[in-house]
Amino acid sequence: MILIEYGGALLRGLGITLWVSCLALILAAVVGALIGIARTSKFMSLRVAATAYTEFFRSLPTLVMLFFVFYGLTAAFNINLSPFVAATIALGLEGSALMSEVVRGGLQSVGKGQKEAALSSGMPVWQVELYVVWPQAIRVMLPPAVGVYVSTLKGSALASSIGFVELMQTGLLVRERVQNDYDGFTVLIAVAVIYTIVNYAISQAGAHIERKSNYAQ
Amino acid sequence: MPNNLKSPNDAAAQDEPILKVEGLVKRFGDTTVIKELSFEVQPGQVVVLVGPSGTGKSTFLRCVNGLEDIQGGKIIFEGEEVKARHSNITAIRRRIGMIFQNFNLYPHLTAVENVTLAPVKVLKESPESAKERAMELFRKVRLEHRATAYPGEMSGGEQQRVAIARALAMNPALMMFDEPTSALDPETVGDVLAVMEELAAEGRTMLVVTHEMAFADHVGDRMLFMDGGYVVEDGPPSELLNNPKNDRTRQFVNSVLKPEAAMKGTADSSEVPPNIAAR
Amino acid sequence: MYDFYLPDVYPYLHKLPAALWVTIEISILATLLSSIMGVFLAIMRRSDSKVLRGVSTTYVEVIRNMPLVVLLYLIFLGLPAFGIVFSGYVSGLIALTLNSAAFMTEIFRAGLIAVPSGQFEAAQSQGMSRVTVYRYVILPQVLRTSYAPYGNQVIGVVMGSSIMMIATIEEVTAWMYNTGAVTYRYFEVFVVAGIVYLIVCQMANVARIMIGKALFKSAAAGGKW
Ligand SMILES: Nc1ncnc2c1ncn2[C@@H]1O[C@H](COP(=O)(O)OP(=O)(O)OP(=O)(O)O)[C@@H](O)[C@H]1O
Ligand SMILES: [Mg+2]
Repeated sequence: MILIEYGGALLRGLGITLWVSCLALILAAVVGALIGIARTSKFMSLRVAATAYTEFFRSLPTLVMLFFVFYGLTAAFNINLSPFVAATIALGLEGSALMSEVVRGGLQSVGKGQKEAALSSGMPVWQVELYVVWPQAIRVMLPPAVGVYVSTLKGSALASSIGFVELMQTGLLVRERVQNDYDGFTVLIAVAVIYTIVNYAISQAGAHIERKSNYAQ
Repeated sequence: MPNNLKSPNDAAAQDEPILKVEGLVKRFGDTTVIKELSFEVQPGQVVVLVGPSGTGKSTFLRCVNGLEDIQGGKIIFEGEEVKARHSNITAIRRRIGMIFQNFNLYPHLTAVENVTLAPVKVLKESPESAKERAMELFRKVRLEHRATAYPGEMSGGEQQRVAIARALAMNPALMMFDEPTSALDPETVGDVLAVMEELAAEGRTMLVVTHEMAFADHVGDRMLFMDGGYVVEDGPPSELLNNPKNDRTRQFVNSVLKPEAAMKGTADSSEVPPNIAAR
Repeated sequence: MYDFYLPDVYPYLHKLPAALWVTIEISILATLLSSIMGVFLAIMRRSDSKVLRGVSTTYVEVIRNMPLVVLLYLIFLGLPAFGIVFSGYVSGLIALTLNSAAFMTEIFRAGLIAVPSGQFEAAQSQGMSRVTVYRYVILPQVLRTSYAPYGNQVIGVVMGSSIMMIATIEEVTAWMYNTGAVTYRYFEVFVVAGIVYLIVCQMANVARIMIGKALFKSAAAGGKW
């Protein structure tokens, strides 16, 4: 059967998919945190700039981001980006807009009273943030952050169109290789099932975290 | 279906009970909330239903309105058996007005729209005549000036009076009230009770669950004391309040009428807010 | 430093309006169709029948977790194995619609859950039929709570419509790619396409706010309704 022959290749593709979305998520988290903090800043100009960033990247399809980084940045800076690096950057930037919303929401969920209570106890601002605000905010951020990961993972399937050989592209290549149309269909279904199961599992884990943190509060 | 409409006075002319409950049993899973309930309501009667929290008073009203399945016995309204899943249930519900503790006004509609929605959509009344009648009802509940307000802009007492107008708009043969004043601020309770008293004076048939003992005594023709899934005592309100025959009735009445008794009273009656006897 | 040179792109700008129209048209169609599907799936989710509930839940969970482009490949490349051949446009529309319907279902379901059960009961107690209860009491309230997430989903559909390119349809993303490929001005075409998408999304936002104001009276002020 076709899946036995190519199952290994598909799983390898899945590994690459998971890896690239992990890297992209890390990039998204770092950039998103900075933008998110900027969005809650008391400086108007920072808030406006950060909001513009979020709005801009949220208004761009993933495919456009991928083409831009892979072709546009390469041309603009005369550098050579592999599809892997390009996909990571594109998905990471895309995710950073989502993450900035998550971070902002988390930070704003911590009541003003918490901050004031901590400040009034004589803690310096950095300690207030580190010991009082963020520990509470991160709990709120975690479930939607899992959502961002799932969305990044789904977006990574588009990286096939810049020739990055992840799960989707592996499936397409295998499909080219097999002669039979039905086998081709089977391969596509297998790819769909793998994505669905993996994302479902991650989403469920996210929902679990959310329930747990709800009980804890 | 306008010919379906009977005024309360027509109903009073008939001799048979408007509502007949025979051996009603209501269970939620394994717990039997109503174990055996049998009584009749005659046209024009105001029946007050009292009892400690959790004895199934609300559940009973919901059964009468077919909002709950029943597990035994019969509920007969105007000669027709009430069954939650029977096709005639909507026709029966039209004839029964229900007032909820939390008003349940439709938040997206103004007061007058709340009142006219069912007459227009269910009774196929023309919007104009429905609106005209609604304005009459608003005069009755003394809310003419609030007709175009949204529920979110009204006080609880105003909302509850709109809810009463909404129920009246269907010209129901029976009005059921489920603790209509317990969610209200004390200062608005009186307005709602005054409207209810007027309805009783018009000769409407009413089934009222309430902890307002002064109202029950003053307006009720009959009082049923429910406890543990049964009607423990049934008689004129003054009788039950001043001269209860049953121990449990006495305990309950004491706890409601004499707050200090509730303090040292039994655990099950302490759930009744002690301040209501004052009115 | 890169020298930004837009004029190379000018000869291809005349193709942009048609491409933009495809993006808008497909987004509107997919939004409408998926909204209808979403309403039915959300109501199914509340049905007394286990089967209907199961179908709706399974649909949402499967589609939500499957990348849109995978769905498109299944329809565009996979189905022809069974003699079922759709044009690129139709394939893309089906994929977008099926995908968006799952999200619409979730949005409407959340809106339904947010309506207190007392609303159903009050309406039922007035003798309204199920259809009347939903039409005049429940749906207007669902509309209000679902409105903001619905707007986001509409923008999600616009974003998703870029996969049409994979089904060989010339929409904005395809215009960007193709124009970039002939002019090598990838950076410039990105700027153009980015601005186009930004404008489309912002216009959708403005429309959402204006329609919302008209629908919900003082909704923006957080007032009565
Ligand atoms: N849908 C339900 N499922 C399970 N149990 C229920 C349900 N509805 C009510 N009950 C239970 O039935 C019992 C009677 O409830 P009901 O609301 O009828 O009491 P009540 O006499 O109206 O009390 P109260 O004075 O507090 O309003 C309670 O113990 C309640 O927990
Ligand atoms: Mg009750």
